[in-house]
Amino acid sequence: MDLVWYLVILAAVAVAAGFVGSLTGIGGGIVIIPVLVIFFNVPLAVAIGASVITILANSATTGSAYIRDHLTDLRIGMFLEIATVPGAIIGAALTVYLVHANLQDALIVALGVILIVLAIAGLRRIRDDAHTLSVPDRRSRRLGFFGSYHDSQLNETITYQAENTNRALGIMFGAGLVAGMFGIGSGVLKVTALDGALKLPIKVSTATSNFMIGVTACASTGVLLAAGYVNAVLAAPVAIGATVGALVGSYVLPGMRNRTVRIAFTLVLIGLSIELIIRGLGGP
Amino acid sequence: MTENSPTARRHDLPPDAYRDMTRILRAGLITALVILSGGVIAYLVENGSLSFGEMVAKNPILSYLGLDSLARGLSTGQPEAFLTLGVLVLVATPIARVLTGMYFFARNREREMAIVAMTVAILLFVGVLVIGPFLR
Repeated sequence: MDLVWYLVILAAVAVAAGFVGSLTGIGGGIVIIPVLVIFFNVPLAVAIGASVITILANSATTGSAYIRDHLTDLRIGMFLEIATVPGAIIGAALTVYLVHANLQDALIVALGVILIVLAIAGLRRIRDDAHTLSVPDRRSRRLGFFGSYHDSQLNETITYQAENTNRALGIMFGAGLVAGMFGIGSGVLKVTALDGALKLPIKVSTATSNFMIGVTACASTGVLLAAGYVNAVLAAPVAIGATVGALVGSYVLPGMRNRTVRIAFTLVLIGLSIELIIRGLGGP
Repeated sequence: MTENSPTARRHDLPPDAYRDMTRILRAGLITALVILSGGVIAYLVENGSLSFGEMVAKNPILSYLGLDSLARGLSTGQPEAFLTLGVLVLVATPIARVLTGMYFFARNREREMAIVAMTVAILLFVGVLVIGPFLR
């Protein structure tokens, strides 16, 4: 098959990745990595490099749409990036080391197990469709971590405020570390911190996660670029496809019910966890 | 109004903050996509006979990561240099968004949030400009 057809197919895969990424807040990279490794025989390190490009394009697309719709909480997103950015830099640096040391399989299995735990936690919260107002901590009050948005599905204005900012910072550092190591958006963990720890509505969590994912990916890309893991030719179809998919996803999200978003998020989480464990154990 | 009320004490960012951040993200993304699209078409014209595996193995980006080599590649119309530039624009877009946030928080006299944004920007510059090249 000609090189051009490979790139066209890759762009189509990136459309799907961008759509899933924007809809669930996971960034889309987790779709690109296994497809590149399994179907295109691309080395894992190069797949990680292509994945961060997907994430950057995805986050810029959905980030702008969600900011325009005021679904994104700029303050909370910016604040939590203090934890995700150093996590991502350390994670990417670890990947450079691990690729040379051939020690990634055990970490992939561990990641899969963690994600399954998060998926189960997500299932337990599925019935919790309505958002309840939490009690903000001192930092949350001082920095103004509260807000509101209009839910077009429920046709009402939802107000929220953040609690447990320390816990969220800890989860976000872990999210950055995982994102940097595996080249994924780590939106799974980011949404967990925003939704589970800060107690933000799922739509605000998803939009803010998308907003943050680009900055996290930017932090790790500096390391991955220097290591030669970002292939500039692969980047073009991946970025274009991810942008198209993310655009469609960002227009679909505001009209969806919270329950639908949460179920989609959980299903994606379980699927990728199983796949990660199988891959880590040396499966197909 | 209670102390915990969501409407208490926060100074909302002005609408132009949201508008400008949206514009920056879109402008960065569109610029990167235009450069990448042109670059990949030019690359395929010159290297269309390569197999997929050969293309992956021959990553051109490392040759153009320096400012001098990138400028030289762009001035001589090398497709790989344009692809590299597209990737760099994509990477720079979130940084520009953080700097815009810092500007609006400072303009809104929110000192703590401006410091938060500045800290994120410094961390990004350290990661991209210091740690990345150090590990190279």
